[in-house]
Amino acid sequence: MRTTIKGLLAAVVISATTLGVARAEFPERTVELVHPWGPGNAMSVSQIIAKAMGEELGENMPVISVPGAAGTKGQIMAMERPADGYTVFDGYVAPLLLQPILGNADWDFRDFKPLHAAVSNAFAIGGRADETRWSSFEGMMEYGKENPGALRYSSGTRNNLPHMVIAKVLQSYGVVAQNVPYTQDGNAVKDLKSGILDFSFVNVGDYKADPAAFEILLVMSELPGAKASYDDAPAITDLELDLNLSGLGPMGWTWWIVHPDTPEDVTATLRDAMETAMKRPDVQEAIERVGFVPLEWDHTQYEEILSSVQSQLEAMGNALIWEEEQLHSLDR
Amino acid sequence: MFATLASGFEMFLTPLAVGLTFMGILIGMLVGALPGLGPLMGIVLLLPFAIGMPPLAGMGFLIAIFVGGSCGGSVSAILLRIPGTPLAAATLLDGYPMAKKGRAADAIGIALAASALGGIAGGVVLIMASPTLARFASSFGPPEYTMLAITGLFTISLISEGTLVKGLMACAFGLLLSTVGTDEFSTGFRFTFDNPNLMNGFHIVAVVVGLFAVSEMAFQVMGSDLLSSPTIQKVQPGLGSFVRVLRHWPNLLRSSGIGVFFGSLPGAGGDISSFSAYGVAKAFSGSHENYGTGEEGGVVATEAANNATVGGALVPTLALGIPGDASSAMLLGAMLILGFVPGPLMFVQEPGFVGGIFLVYMLSNVFLLVAGIIAAPLFIRVLSIPKAYLIPAILILCCIGTFALQASVFDLLVMFAFGLVGMLFRLTGYPLSPVVLGLILGPILESNLRRSLLISREGYWIFLDRPVASALVVLNVLILTGLLVSSLRRMKKARGGKRALNP
Repeated sequence: MRTTIKGLLAAVVISATTLGVARAEFPERTVELVHPWGPGNAMSVSQIIAKAMGEELGENMPVISVPGAAGTKGQIMAMERPADGYTVFDGYVAPLLLQPILGNADWDFRDFKPLHAAVSNAFAIGGRADETRWSSFEGMMEYGKENPGALRYSSGTRNNLPHMVIAKVLQSYGVVAQNVPYTQDGNAVKDLKSGILDFSFVNVGDYKADPAAFEILLVMSELPGAKASYDDAPAITDLELDLNLSGLGPMGWTWWIVHPDTPEDVTATLRDAMETAMKRPDVQEAIERVGFVPLEWDHTQYEEILSSVQSQLEAMGNALIWEEEQLHSLDR
Repeated sequence: MFATLASGFEMFLTPLAVGLTFMGILIGMLVGALPGLGPLMGIVLLLPFAIGMPPLAGMGFLIAIFVGGSCGGSVSAILLRIPGTPLAAATLLDGYPMAKKGRAADAIGIALAASALGGIAGGVVLIMASPTLARFASSFGPPEYTMLAITGLFTISLISEGTLVKGLMACAFGLLLSTVGTDEFSTGFRFTFDNPNLMNGFHIVAVVVGLFAVSEMAFQVMGSDLLSSPTIQKVQPGLGSFVRVLRHWPNLLRSSGIGVFFGSLPGAGGDISSFSAYGVAKAFSGSHENYGTGEEGGVVATEAANNATVGGALVPTLALGIPGDASSAMLLGAMLILGFVPGPLMFVQEPGFVGGIFLVYMLSNVFLLVAGIIAAPLFIRVLSIPKAYLIPAILILCCIGTFALQASVFDLLVMFAFGLVGMLFRLTGYPLSPVVLGLILGPILESNLRRSLLISREGYWIFLDRPVASALVVLNVLILTGLLVSSLRRMKKARGGKRALNP
């Protein structure tokens, strides 16, 4: 009996010690960042941050691309993994906030533990440089009102943030236009340049690669830095219309998160590593080179900032339904 | 063109990329030499490993397997009179008689040198033609891509083994599989049955490993020769074969040209090009009566043609994103997984990667000659390993590779399920290649068709409003008409034959 108890005790002590050591030594192996999109600029930026964060943690931090279902597949996969801190999710606005608003996911952003804000990326509505039908955003809106359903545009994939924001702007002007989804980076811009589309969302990377090809009609951000990225093209703040969009509302952004059951000490290690990585000048420069903006908010500001974005997106929610209904009524 | 090549050097000149290209040639020759495998199987088996590597190193590995595998079949064709792959079927016509006359080493040396030189000729065409084609295709929009995808589907179904109807049905099965997952146009789920593993559809690697490798191994297990080990003569080809091949330079150039031409046509593969090149070489030869009795020119023609086909097949794959055959479809799938979307945009956005692909392809052909001559005795030895050892090794490779894709047991289940599907297809005489083409071309076809209709203000007329799209519509109609006429003729002939037998 005594031997059994001794054995049990020994086992408990050894397990406790092992667990303690394991905790103390986190991370002992690679920490994976699950990225919800396919390869492209967004993934490159996540790789830049993950590399730096891995250096701070002393372990590699590979980025695993799990695209699909507007980013929700990656989020579901990441949250199904053990809550041990070895899986971090690249919490883009589409899976984290937008899809629950659209009824395509059953979570709330408060369900997860935030690490640190990563990046934001503003986008613009762009047309062709040689366009003759209009010369400004307002001119295009007038054309759109006179020709309901005639304009063709792309926001990249469907039901993403640019789609929602563009639909909101069009709704404000009463313009019905057909959204054409593109799943691969760059193809929408290619078809805009060759005259197949009338206007498209244009990110900073696409614009910088060939500025002469575009007429940037409207920068979808109130931040002066975003306007400067598009060579001082008109921005939403220049419109007479009040779209009720501010801060991160009209932009793409990501806030890295972990499973809610992740131990506090592990979460703290990850937060410290990410905060240090995000403050490094080399990381900030590398992010800015791709056309993204590094964000400095830490986990304490997560709820406040995301609540504000959530209410803005909820207010915009009916724009997509409005667009669909208007197009259906034109078909009839 | 030169700028693209030059920009590729930085990505290409790494020990890993060069080393893996060399490894790829050795593995390619091995899978080519082993009867029942071949370049497509080699690519399928090693794909899970390649996509975990840096992009160009991974692609170099797979392209080298394609190149090595297109030549490896000649070793068993020459020594055993069993072509390791259908690509080498024409090589045995003169290769085996040469071996019987005691010139096996010469025949293998000529096959290696002709393959390498034919491959290089194909590479020159690839480097020159694909940027031009990509530039021309840069104005292509959804209507043109819809029509190109239809051309690809028709032609592969046409030329694959088995009947036309079976080819088209296999292709339709591939198209159906490609619909599983999230519909990117409505963001709705299709055939996912609330399973998050299916949100992005089946992983293409799990499907092809199951369809091709698992089913092939299952059939090999059922064979009666599991423990047999053929006795094979020892041969060591030399570099002198290179000079021998150069003596046949008009035949070499002509056959390479034929290979590139057939390679660049969607659906036509190395087997058609090697038989065509053989026929043309025989017709042009002063000593055509010697063809079939051990004529060097016969081996030069077939091997130059089937390796030049690889270069040709890569032209539409890289420049248009439309694969020419099942092997290049797998290469296209690998590029997509690695984050590169073949097509005109890739030439503008990723010139370094495109240049790197050109360079690994050219280097593969140089390695083919060197590694082939040095390692030929090794491949010959492998031919005598009993299947009882090879089959489990290949199956373990399939399982590790598929599991490693996403550390997913679900992918393993998909692999085994498609292994069963592959067995059913083989048992009932349905070809497997159209399934892969359907699976890869399906999303291209569906998204571009739906996109075209959203863009169009006049419905389907968009396909006739644009000059290139309308030319492709005409081409597709011609192919379809040709398909129907030839199958009706075949059916009529078959009925006539039956009547003659049973008057």
